Formats: sequence, C-alpha cells, structure tokens
Amino acid sequence: MRKVLAALDNSLAAEAVLATASNLADAFGGVVEALHVVEDGDRIAHDEAEAAGLRLHRVTGATVAAIVSAAEAPDVQVLVVGTRRFPVEGHPVGGTALEVITSLLKPVVVVPPDASRTGLRRVLVPLEGTAPTSLAPKGIIELSRQANVEVVVLHVQDAASVPAFTDQPQHQAAAWGQEFVARYCPWGIGSVTLELRVGRRAEQILAVAESHDCDLIALGWSQEVAAGRALVVREVLERGRLPVLLVPVVRLPGADKPKEETWSRSQSSLV
Amino acid sequence: MRLAVEVAEVDLPADLEQRFEAVLFDWDGTAVADRGADATAVRQAIEALCAASIDLAVVTGTHIGNVDGQLRARPAGPGRLYLCLNRGSEVYAVGAGGPELLERRVASAEEECALDAAAEDTVKRLAERGVQAAIVSQRLNRRKIDLIPEPEWSDPPKARIGELLAAVEARLRNAGLDGLRDAALIAEEAARAAGLPDPKVTSDAKHVEIGLTDKADSARWVFGELWRRGIGPAQVLVAGDEFGPLGGLPGSDSFLLPVEAERAVAVSVGREPTGVPRGVIDLGGGPDAFVALLSDQLERRRRGDLPRLDGDDSWMLSIRGFDPELERVQSSLLTIADGVIGTSGSPVGSHPSARPRVLAAGLYEGKGAETELVEGPVWTRLDGELPHAVAFERRLDLHAGLLRQRLGRQPDLESLLFSSPEHPGTVVLRATGVRALLETDEPLEAAPGTSVDTGEADRATWMRQPAGEGGLVVAAGERSEGDRLDRIAAYVADPTGVPDTEEAVRRLEAAQELGFDRLLAGHRRCWAERWETADIRIETDDELQRLVRFALFHLLGSAAESGEAAVGARGLTGPAYRGHVFWDADVFVLPFLAATNPRAARAMLEYRFNRLDAARAAARALGRLGARFPWESAGDGRDVTPSHAHDQAGRIVPIRTGELEEHIVADVAWAASCYLDWTGDAEFAAGPAPELFAETARYWASRIRRDRSGRAHIFGVIGPDEYHEPVDDNAFTNVMARWNLRRAATHAQGLVPEAERETWLELADALVDGFDPDTMLYEQFAGFKRLEPLVIADIAHRPIAADLLLGQERTRGAQVLKQADVLMLHHLVPDEVAPGSLEPNLSYYEPRTAHGSSLSPAVHSALFARAGRLGQAVESLRLACRIDVDDLTGTTAGGVHLATMGGVWQALVFGFGGIRATGAALAIDPRLPDAWDALELRLEYRGRPVRIRIEHDLLIVDADPAVPVSVDGRPGRRFERRGDNWEEEGK
Repeated sequence: MRKVLAALDNSLAAEAVLATASNLADAFGGVVEALHVVEDGDRIAHDEAEAAGLRLHRVTGATVAAIVSAAEAPDVQVLVVGTRRFPVEGHPVGGTALEVITSLLKPVVVVPPDASRTGLRRVLVPLEGTAPTSLAPKGIIELSRQANVEVVVLHVQDAASVPAFTDQPQHQAAAWGQEFVARYCPWGIGSVTLELRVGRRAEQILAVAESHDCDLIALGWSQEVAAGRALVVREVLERGRLPVLLVPVVRLPGADKPKEETWSRSQSSLV
Repeated sequence: MRLAVEVAEVDLPADLEQRFEAVLFDWDGTAVADRGADATAVRQAIEALCAASIDLAVVTGTHIGNVDGQLRARPAGPGRLYLCLNRGSEVYAVGAGGPELLERRVASAEEECALDAAAEDTVKRLAERGVQAAIVSQRLNRRKIDLIPEPEWSDPPKARIGELLAAVEARLRNAGLDGLRDAALIAEEAARAAGLPDPKVTSDAKHVEIGLTDKADSARWVFGELWRRGIGPAQVLVAGDEFGPLGGLPGSDSFLLPVEAERAVAVSVGREPTGVPRGVIDLGGGPDAFVALLSDQLERRRRGDLPRLDGDDSWMLSIRGFDPELERVQSSLLTIADGVIGTSGSPVGSHPSARPRVLAAGLYEGKGAETELVEGPVWTRLDGELPHAVAFERRLDLHAGLLRQRLGRQPDLESLLFSSPEHPGTVVLRATGVRALLETDEPLEAAPGTSVDTGEADRATWMRQPAGEGGLVVAAGERSEGDRLDRIAAYVADPTGVPDTEEAVRRLEAAQELGFDRLLAGHRRCWAERWETADIRIETDDELQRLVRFALFHLLGSAAESGEAAVGARGLTGPAYRGHVFWDADVFVLPFLAATNPRAARAMLEYRFNRLDAARAAARALGRLGARFPWESAGDGRDVTPSHAHDQAGRIVPIRTGELEEHIVADVAWAASCYLDWTGDAEFAAGPAPELFAETARYWASRIRRDRSGRAHIFGVIGPDEYHEPVDDNAFTNVMARWNLRRAATHAQGLVPEAERETWLELADALVDGFDPDTMLYEQFAGFKRLEPLVIADIAHRPIAADLLLGQERTRGAQVLKQADVLMLHHLVPDEVAPGSLEPNLSYYEPRTAHGSSLSPAVHSALFARAGRLGQAVESLRLACRIDVDDLTGTTAGGVHLATMGGVWQALVFGFGGIRATGAALAIDPRLPDAWDALELRLEYRGRPVRIRIEHDLLIVDADPAVPVSVDGRPGRRFERRGDNWEEEGK
C-alpha cells in the first residue's frame, strides 16, 4: 500500500495539504498519514486530521529534520507539505517547505494554502526535452495512466531553444510532437496530450495549467536553489495556485552536456 | 578450421573464412599446374560457382586458345566468367555458348613498329653485354624475349621456377649484369627509345616481355566491372602463385593487386621462393589448394553464409549501439526502399523503442486533409528481444543498397536486408545466429491500428489490407535451417482496388525460385547501375562526400521506374507530412531523377498528368480555366491541405497555402520542362507535355488581372516565403507564371490555336515582376519595401524559425523571409531574370532570410556558388547535408527530408557545377572551392551517361557517344583554365 505523508502545520495551509494528500491517495490507491511537528500548538492540524478521519501523528524536534526523517520511511511514497502559511500569491516559498524539498530525495508535493480541494483529474507535466528531466516524472505519468488521470505534457521553447526549422506548420508540429512524446515519455505514448508553447517557461506553465484546468503540476528538478538555479520551480511555487509535485532528477552520466549537443552533433549518426 | 574437400585438405587462415562474391585468379600455376594439366576439377568448380551467382575472372598472359582450350568451362550463369587474356589486352565473357570477345586493345601501326624495334634493340643491347637472347614470339601488343634460349630450359615447369631463376640470373651476372632486374631495365630503355611512352615490362624469369598492357590492366578492368555489378574489392578473393618478387622484379601476380584492389583478400598458392608481399596470404598447395578454396566458397553458398559488405567508408552509413531516444531517427536514416516499398532500418529484434514500418508508394487512405500514406504489414521482425547492453551495429551500404545488422560480439545475430529495385516490392532478409533470436511465429506483423485479413497459401503467409479505394497484399515465406533463416516477402499495392492475394503469392514464388543469391546479385547490380549515372565525388572532403552519397541514396530509392510515382515529402522513409506530395517533388526531387534516372522522373510526371482532370476541376471550381494543381496532393489529385493547424507555439493558425500558394501550377510545368531538357523524351514531348503546358498556361491566363494601364497582376498569393500571406504580385509567382505562359506558347503549338498562344505571350509581357533597374532588385511582392526593415541575420543565429521567435504578426510585418523567394528565380529560371541581378538580390535578401525552411540552406548553397561566394556555398551545403543525420528539424523520425536532399544535388550540379541542360547542349560553368581537389559528377543527358570531372585547371566531359557540350560558349570534351576562361585543351 502506497503511503502519502501529509505534513500539517498549525496554519490555514493544513486543510489544503490534507485535501491534496487525500486526492493523491484516492487517485493512485494509497493511504494518507497525517504528521505534525509539535511547535506552537496543534489545534488546526488536529481538527483537520480528525475531520478526515485520520489519526494525527505528532513528533517533536527540529521541524524540517522531523518531517524529512518521517518521510524517509520506506513505505512513504510521497510527502505533501504546504508552500507557505498564508494564501498570498507572489510570496516566497516558506523556509520549511524550501528546506524540505531540497533535503528529501523523494517526490514532494508543495501545496499553496488556496489550492483547489477538488479531486485529481488532470496533471500537467512540463518537460524540457532532455532524458534526465523527462525520467523524473515518469512515475506520475505511469500512475496517472493506471488511474485514468489525464496527463497534459507541456514543452516550452524560449528564445534560446526555438527550433531552426518549421517547414509546413500544418504538419511540422504534429511530426515534431509525436517524436517528442516518443522520446521523452515513451511510457505514455497514446495516453498523453502534448501542448507546445513558446515563451517564458514558468509563465507558460502557469498559463497552460489554468487553461487546461489542471489539478497538479509535476516538475522534475535538481534540488538546487542557489542563486540563478531552479528559477522555473521557484516562480511556479510562488505564483501558482496549484499543488506542485517536485521530483528530484537523477543525474545520468553525460547529462551535463549542453542541450544542443544531445540533439545534434554529438549524436551524429554518421560514424 | 581444417577444411576437408575432395581434392585437398587445407588449413584456412581467418581472412579466408568468409564468403566472397567474386574470385579473380591467375591461370598457369594457380588454377592449373601447367598447360597440359587436367582442368576438370577447376572447370567443375567454376561452373558450379557461376550457378551459385559468384563472378569469376581469369587473368593471364596467354591467349584464348590456351586458356579456353584447357578450361573448356561453359557456365550458364547467373555468375559471370571472364577471361582476361594476353597480359591485359583482351577480355572475353564465357557463357554456355563459349567465349565472346568483349574488349581488345588494338595496337596502332606505329605501336607495332615500336614494339618490334624495342624487342630487336633489347636483343641487340643484351648481345653487346654478352648475353645471347632471342625474340621467341610476337604476341598481341607485346614482344617476348627469351633470356635463356637453351634446350634444357626450353619449357620449364612451374615447379622448377627456383632453378630457372638461378640459371637465368647466373647467365646474366656472368655478363656483368645485375640479374633479371638489369635485363628488364635494358628492355624498358629500349622500349622508350623506340617511342613507347609507357612500356609495360615484365618477366617470368625465362623471358622479359615488352608490352602495351599488363595484367594490372586486366585487374583494373575486373574490379571496375565488378563495381558496376555492385561488388566491392573487399568482397573479392584474388588468387595467384607469383606475388613475391622474382629476381628483383615484382612477381607477375602482384599485378593482380592494383590500387583498385585495396581491401581485396589476396592468397598465394604458389611456392614463392622469396616470400609474399605484405598483406598476401601465403597458403601454398598449388592448384589443388586453389580448387579447395573454390569448393569452400561453394559450400558457403550452399549452407547460406551471410555476405559481407564492401566496407568502403565513403559509401557507408554506420550506426553503432542502440539509443532508445534516437532509435526512430536512426531507423528512418537506414530506410531501404525500391520506389514501391520502403522499410525502416529498425532492428530485426524486438525493442519497445523500435518502431519498424513499411510504406507503400501512392497508397493513401482517409479523406481530405486527413488523407495519409498507408503503413503496411512489417516483414522484418524476429521474435527475439533485443538484449540490453549488448554490442549492436547497423551498416547501410549505399552503393549496393544493403542493410546489415550485427548484434553481440560473437555475434549472436547477424542479418542482411534488401528491398529489390530489380523486382520492386520484393524484400529479402537473411539472418544467422543463435536459435532463440531467430525464432519467429509469423513472418508478417500487421501495422499498429490497421485491419488485415490473413491466410496461408502453400509455402506462404499472406496479409491483405484494404486502404481507401485500393489496398495492399503481401505474401511472405521463410526457410529456417540450423542457425540460418531466409525470409522473402512480396508486396503488391494498388490504389484502385485491393490486389488479389494470388498475385503476391505468385511474385513470392517467383522470388523464391530465384533464391537469395540470385536476388542479391540482381539487387546489387541494379543499385550499381543507378550509381553509374548518379554518383558525385568530392575529392578531399570525406565528410561531405559521405553525406552527399547518403542524400543521393535516398533520392534514388524514392520513386518507381514505371507507372506513376507519388513522391511525398519524406518519400518512403517515414509517415510525416502524411505522405502528401508538395512542390518538393516537382522542383527539388524531379530534377535529380531527370538527370540520373529518367524513367523514375517520367513516373513522377505521370503522377501529375494522371491528375490533370482533378486539377481542371479545381480551376473550374474557382471560376478559372485550365488546371490548378493542389499545394498538397495525395491519391486522387484533389487538394488535401488542412485549413488550420496547431503550430509549435500551440496556437491554432489558419493554413492558407492550399488556397493561395499557387506557384505550384507553374512548378509542375517547370518540372516537365526540366525533364524534357535533360531527356529529350520525344514521346512525352508529343504526348502529355503539350497538354500539361497548355492547361497550366490557361490557368494563369484566367488568373491574371490587368489594370487600367494594361499591366498584368496576380493578386492574393503566397510565395515560397510563407511568412507573408496573402501578397500581391509576388515576384516568384509572377515570373514563374510568365515563364509558364511563354514556355506553353512554344511547347503547345500543335495543341493550342495561335490566337490563344498570342494572348499568353501578351499577358506574359504585361506581367509585372517588381524589378527595379536602378537597384537591380526585385521587390519580393508589392509593398515589401514598406515592411519593418528587420535584418534577421543581425538579431538571431540562423537557421531559425522566425515565426516562432518573433511571433507571426511581427514576422508578417517585417522584411523577414523563411526561404529564398526572389532568389528561387535565379535558381530555377536564371534566363527569366535580369542579367547581373543575382549578386545584388543575394546581398539584399539573404541577410533577411531566416532559413527557417529545410529547403533554404541547399538552395542558398547553389546561389552562393553561382555568385562565386564559395566558402558560404560549402558551409550552406554542409548544413543542408546534416539536416537529417543530426535531426536538426526534430522530425527525421517521421522520415528524411527528400527535397533537401534534392537541393543538395542541385547545389552541386547547378551551383558548383554550373550545369544546365538545354535542348541544344549541356552547358557547364563550374565553380570549384579551393578546399576541394576535384568535383566529379555522373549524369545522364539525352540517354547517354556523362561523367564531368572538374578540377581547378582542367574540365573533362566524358561521354560515349559524345554529347554536345558548351563551356564558356565553346564545344569540346577537355578544357583547360586560362585566366578566367575555359579554353579547349591544346588549342
């Protein structure tokens, strides 16, 4: 049985976290465990767990360490935490969430306080078009297929990655998209919808999530939040109103090669 | 391995443990011990090998009477037996009816006199040194001087070669000469003194011979002939008995290994007293060993050994390893096609990332814009799964059209696949390896999402697949024995009705009757023949050389040579663009075929001509006359262009090319004209051509509008630069329409009344073309100059899809081009544009061109070459060549870009070669980049094969019979550079 660990704080975010955890468990067949790190009271967390018919597991100690420790249990498949305590768009991700997502080598769903409580019907999976980042959300795509959850794959090209050629647009996008899906979500051929956009990535991710009425965004990421890194993840977390599933990317040998290299000359077929 | 055969037991070195496709061998001492020996064993082996499709060539110094009298082989084929005799001066082909002379070098009277004088002078010079020698015979094209005319050595057997050499050397040294080598030098000096510029002096120890030819000439002829039959040097076994030096002179059989024999396996069965040269296998054993080698080859054929590829890198596409991410791209690149059927080069083993597919030319299903090329049942799959982490290599031999796959290091599985142009629709697989990988339940597998009927017939399994109004039937049979599997399949496609299964079964049975080896030999020969009039050699640029041949390979496989050929954007290499036929076919692919394989070009024109009624109906529907060919065409000739689509920015965009990109009408007429210029096909000129020209001209006549001043316009079109739509008076459309009207006025004389043709000419003269004589620029369309003056070269790294980078609206309002538009006129109809206007228009438009079409780099390569900007021309050509191998469009998985490949050919022939076919002559105006030593082009002009070799200071046009040529306005065959001009050599 898959376990979804919901880390509830004593804030307005607890309800959304628990609702998201329940949605995940319902959709993918798992059980929810509610966790609270005792700090300054647990009334909200307790009430939310009780309303959901769950027993609240209380632990003590440093908050981040305690959450990570609990989430590292082998039977925990995914951790759900709140983005921040208050539903204010554009605010930075809370310190606890930030530390947790960079410490835990497991998928983490980060939930804004004002996230929708509706069930999980459609997942948006933005893919960069490289092997390692496309492998990260593989699990969620596979699970979604089994659970009849619709998957919308999004690839955003920016000024630096606009294709060199678009011969006949009436055929080009279809041919290009078909191969993109075959390469980067081969497990999902026939069961994903591909959306292509040109523009700023975070902006397009949020726009497509909204226009396609998605309930969850799944992103592969490197867990690095140093200056200049993970800009897309940060912006989506800060500006979005949807739960975001962050899946750590496993670095594959040679994965640091520039994108142009993996797409073209280094893969030259004439050897 | 120890080989036991009837006549001998021989240990075979590793290099001989392989199947050869041809054997070239010496006669005396190699095939037979001496002229009196019984040749029964070798005769039987030769006849059996020929029956097993192996080619054989005897190379010897003696004459037909000696060799044929002793051998008396009468092979019935299909393998060939050649007798290359008289030390390089004669070639006979031997069949069931006996020898037939193919070639003979005939000495001129002056050469005969010189040979006599040389022989007499040699005897005289030797006598002066105290050596008595004698001219013993006067053979064809040579003179033979006996260095030891003594009774004891009158007819020494080969076995006494060591003693003979010692006796001759002693005799010469006694006279103060440094052995045989000095005697040969004396003969050579005498020959040169007698006026022979390139005497061939050889020795067999007893004699020194002065000749016009030697055995190397024979060997060169044999390797050339084998190459023309699709057999490369690495597939040839060369056998002799005298490779090692003799008295300081090269062994007589070393002449069997000229430079053309590089990569051939050479074996000596002789005694070789001084050893063999490096690279020659010293087997020994005499004629018995040689016959054993032949028997071994026969046994390899019998048990079904897999043929090796020749291995010349410049003719090879090799892909090592299995990359799930790139697999579909690679299998497109490795597609084998015969113009009727295309089979992807997917692994024969199963793998989830592999997507094997078979496409049948011209077979569509679906309605309207959804019409698409049909995928048929797959014939290549074996059930064994492709293991992970195992060595895997696929090699495509471009010259022979063979795909070889090798799995594992042992290897665990090897296979050879081909799609036969000799029997279009017939495909063949031979695989050898471990049983588990060879096993298969069914030889055929229906394509995903298709519905088929299946059945059995005698030795065959068949599948029948309806498609549209027609359908496809394939019958396959296989024979599995031990570690080998042979599978043959025969496809029959018919767009007008589902073919009978009996027809496919009949074709399969015919192929099975021929068997693997005969099918392979015919297949190789067909491909080699195609290359004889299509190859391009770029000397000193190995990378470009291979890329260009790769492009030509796919062009050659794109169209059938009979009936009609619908050549879609990706040909038979993939389903992208739904297999629709665009101007790509008429303007980019057809010129290549017109100049290399005219029957295929004619089939492409038949496709258009057979859809003339649909084009007429399209014109009528718009209230116009004549014929309006569709921008996208498929089965019935109606337009199948979608009306809208998602672009790569996710936007729904209206697609107006079907409605507005009308230059396709003139493009079809241009293709017909191009075909006529290259071929002079009188039947086409008298039949379909006038109707095509007339109906396209009538369309333009009804499409053009006159203003009050009498000037003629074409409003509301899309030009090749598809970023701007609709536009008025697009220069390309207008000039092509003008050309169409004028050409029709000439070519439709017998069909169209003079009054109507006069109208066409008036309209053509009145059509505006946007040319400004002050600037020498053509305005791309009315109002282009008023657009935002954006120079894309200044703001982006090209090639770039500018419509995605800037957005459609901004692009539409700016002077940004997708590809050549005005400049396409300089490329296609240079006589229709103002003289001297190429450079100003190239300077103006190229920096404004994003090259966002895959057609653009190749066309610009041609334009740069014509403008003399050769560095840019080469770089553009290199980019065009890499579009598929580097998957620069991200869509090569859906098939290769055939039009780009056609553009590559045009860049080399029209651009660098400056070659244009006219009714009168082949005009040549070459531009050779400094980095290339030479450019050599093979073409067919007016039914005659032509080889054009362009060097920096020399231009050779080689055609037999000669073709009319014009270089700098001069006729001739050899030209030398003098200053900026070419002059006929020696004048």
